[in-house]
Amino acid sequence: MNCKMMRKLLTVCAMFAALPLTAVTTPAVAAAPGVSADEIVIGHVSDLSGPIALLGTPLRDGLLMRFDEANANGGVYGRKLRLVVEDAAYDPRRGVLATRKLIERDRAFAFIATTGTPVVMATMPLVLEAGRLHLFPFSPHEATYTPLHPLKFQNFAPYQDYMAAAARHMISRGNYQRSCLLYQDDEYGQEVMRGVEQGLETVGRELVARTSYKRGALDLSSQVARLRAADCDLVVLATVVRETVAAVTEARRQGWQVDMLVTASGYSAQTHELGGEALEGLYGVSVLPHPYREGASLALAEWIAAYQARYKAAPNVWSVMGYTLADLFVRAAMAAGPEPDAESFARALENLSPQSDIFGSPPYRFSAEDHLGNRRGRLAQIRDGRWQLLSDYLD
Amino acid sequence: MKVRAVEIGAGLVLLVLLLFWFGRAYGLAQLNLLFTYALAGLGVVIILGHAGQTVLGQGAFVALGAYAQALLVATGLTPLLALPLAAGAGALGGVLASLPAARLGGLYFGMSTFAFALLVEELLRRWESLTGGAAGLMVKGFSIAGWRLEQAGEQAAFSLLLLLGAIALCRRMLASALGRSWQAVREDEAAAAACGVDAVRAKIGAFALGGGVSGLAGGLYAHWIAYLSPEQFGLRLSFELLILAFLGGVRRLGGVLWGAALVVALPQAIALLRDQLPGEWTRAAGFELFVFGAAVVAVVLLRRPPA
Repeated sequence: MNCKMMRKLLTVCAMFAALPLTAVTTPAVAAAPGVSADEIVIGHVSDLSGPIALLGTPLRDGLLMRFDEANANGGVYGRKLRLVVEDAAYDPRRGVLATRKLIERDRAFAFIATTGTPVVMATMPLVLEAGRLHLFPFSPHEATYTPLHPLKFQNFAPYQDYMAAAARHMISRGNYQRSCLLYQDDEYGQEVMRGVEQGLETVGRELVARTSYKRGALDLSSQVARLRAADCDLVVLATVVRETVAAVTEARRQGWQVDMLVTASGYSAQTHELGGEALEGLYGVSVLPHPYREGASLALAEWIAAYQARYKAAPNVWSVMGYTLADLFVRAAMAAGPEPDAESFARALENLSPQSDIFGSPPYRFSAEDHLGNRRGRLAQIRDGRWQLLSDYLD
Repeated sequence: MKVRAVEIGAGLVLLVLLLFWFGRAYGLAQLNLLFTYALAGLGVVIILGHAGQTVLGQGAFVALGAYAQALLVATGLTPLLALPLAAGAGALGGVLASLPAARLGGLYFGMSTFAFALLVEELLRRWESLTGGAAGLMVKGFSIAGWRLEQAGEQAAFSLLLLLGAIALCRRMLASALGRSWQAVREDEAAAAACGVDAVRAKIGAFALGGGVSGLAGGLYAHWIAYLSPEQFGLRLSFELLILAFLGGVRRLGGVLWGAALVVALPQAIALLRDQLPGEWTRAAGFELFVFGAAVVAVVLLRRPPA
């Protein structure tokens, strides 16, 4: 046996000898999965190639931007925040596999902004069973915050709540007598319908007509004609961007200048960019203002410039959402202390004081009894080719 | 024989890779879904590969099985007893979808199965009082006499057991008079009819068996995913099952395992490889889909299936 071999053997022996020592000296590191001496791992199951990829990509970019900023400022108590992104493409099977990967291989400390209701509903039980935090999923489903669970938090206002308030506000504002609804034939549309009905009921009205379309349909001529025949003076649109453009354009093409109100799913710069002049006057509900460069405060303008420099694209409302969700995470992680676990993080989030930000986000409030951070939206309208806010957050 | 030995060897290597590379529990969860998809794809192999009938709506049979299982379990029936009924729901769907076969053939008949899948998806969406509509349906975990199959390994073992049972049943059926009539109809329907084979009965039989095994897979799927909604059983699933059957060998019962490995495990393997690759471009949207598409094309080209 020569010297070289002896050295190798000694090194191996030393490594094995050091193993128990490592286990004894670093007990806290093993305490919370995904939290090591150097980093905190956060999982994000997104839709980057499926039907809502238009939303998934800026959302991810916003998350990454805020985490990178936090890392550049020294991280959270010296730990870097690492976002591991998986693309489930709105498919619950892929979502389940991606979630298992994030739980077992990447040992994610928390899951943030899982995207799409079927994916959220299929993966949330796995996340909670594994004792990981399920934060701010992109789904209107009430199961994301009820029944109360110590590890699940939501901050997207449910369509039902803010649409009830918006419908009520619109009626008192415009004294509409014949309200109608065009809705997407899925859970989203159903929830908006419940909200609008609830809002109308409080002012002694009811829906005069309602008609649905299948997700992805862009020819809405028969639906619009049907609503026109019902002589509606306000049409609520439970549509997403493309369908909003299709519905409003079709109404104008038919010479029907009816007032229309779209949910936050249609509140996007893409709506007026795609629709152009025909979309002027469209009302919408905003749960977060669009980051326009024109008229932006200095801080917001700097943020927009930084985003554009990084992604070579203008930010939109989804980018802002991603950024603000990551910001909530960073603040809660800081408040949870130097040795965070799921429990201490959740308690920190419950006690986080609401803050105003450069975007005009609603004040997100959680408590030990309520894990839904926001229930309200604001009324907006497309004027001169951009969304303009008309009201404060509606109760 | 040599080919089979190579396949078994490759299968074992894949298994070891799944368990060690993906991580034990994660690998077993992959295997569980792989076996469940293989079971669903077995239905396509029977209908398309052996009876020669174009089927573009196999996902509907999976949906019927899944919803039947979820609803029966919700009424208090034990999951094990509900499974045969879920298979029955899939088989009934198969029989219904095969009825136009009396008048239609070839691609036209395939289109009618496509329409059947659309009808089923629409029914699941509209019949809210029963199916929960677009809001979906939560499904309890699988249990046998109080023993809950919670671990991925237990689930994978159970799925494998059912898959092997279904393959054995299909093998037996293929050797029966009905199975031989499928082959006769597949090769030449007119000649088969001239020889006294009842082509319509043969097609209905193939759809009943194919729908039944896919329905059984749906029953398992309901428990493994634990949440059902109509869009999960859209045309995408039907086409995935078609791809699965073609990649594995459309007439090979055991081939469904290879097809399922490509459809289920390959995208995950790509996701893991992506994590190892440097550079932002691998994080671009659609990267996995692009690599998956390229891999599928490569497999099809390399396999060079017999004409």
